[in-house]
Amino acid sequence: MAKTILAVDDSGSLRQMVAFSLKAAGYDVVQAVDGQDGLDKAKEKTVDLVLTDQNMPIMDGLTLIKNLRELGSYQKVPILMLTTESSDEMKAKGKAAGANGWLVKPFDPKRLIEVVQKVIGS
Amino acid sequence: MRMDTPPILKLRHLLAAVSGHGKQHLLRVEADLLQTTYLLNKAIEDLSASFISVHDSVTKQQQILDSLIEQHHFNHAETKQLEVFKQNIVNEVNAVITGLQFQDLTSQLLTRTVNHVNGLKDLLQELVTHDEVVELGNEQEQLINFLEEVDRKLHASSHNLAAGSRPSVKSQDMATGDIELF
Repeated sequence: MAKTILAVDDSGSLRQMVAFSLKAAGYDVVQAVDGQDGLDKAKEKTVDLVLTDQNMPIMDGLTLIKNLRELGSYQKVPILMLTTESSDEMKAKGKAAGANGWLVKPFDPKRLIEVVQKVIGS
Repeated sequence: MRMDTPPILKLRHLLAAVSGHGKQHLLRVEADLLQTTYLLNKAIEDLSASFISVHDSVTKQQQILDSLIEQHHFNHAETKQLEVFKQNIVNEVNAVITGLQFQDLTSQLLTRTVNHVNGLKDLLQELVTHDEVVELGNEQEQLINFLEEVDRKLHASSHNLAAGSRPSVKSQDMATGDIELF
């Protein structure tokens, strides 16, 4: 059974590229348009990995991570940030919030899949 | 404007005119930026759809090719050449996916610029928003108070504008970003 990844990004084209890359590698993908939508969808079904942007309307990525980590079912689910933000300060905030990794946009599909496979397997 | 108009009123008229002209031009800038954003998004949306459709067809074509290779005996050179083509397609697909993401980065910069334009409109509005009533006499004192009030409002508005901005996208080339696992 394919593993499911929740991709959260307010950019439709970015979500499309992430979903395209992950599906081509054999993963199921659930898409969310912002942090709040991501939180709602994460509650509907526990996924195997969350891949989230930082700067989004309504709820940003760091807030989403904090909210997910408060849910019992998401305490050990890997969460990766995929964002244009690359400062050490933001990475430290991400780590403190509970992120397991930081990927700076634009992503290379091959490297994205390598990281995802490393974190949750094929 | 009559010659005996108090200086503070003249100044208010001048600032109102600066504000009005500035806002008119900013409205045009905003309209152009929004149109640019729309066109860019539409172009990338169509390009993405075409790319995914082409990729889908190429994948199906490759499956048929793989089946033909199994059924027929191609010579080593032909098989190797087909493998090279296959790898080239994979590499180009990855390059397209990376390239298409620059629309997202550009779109973020455009949104940031539109927000700044809106912030500048609010800032210009501060030049015409003031509560104090002009009284005859004490013109110099009124002028000083008025300028201090305008200066204070401009500072506050400028600070809010800077604080409310998203961080700027710093990418200078088409290279992909770093990856760090904690």
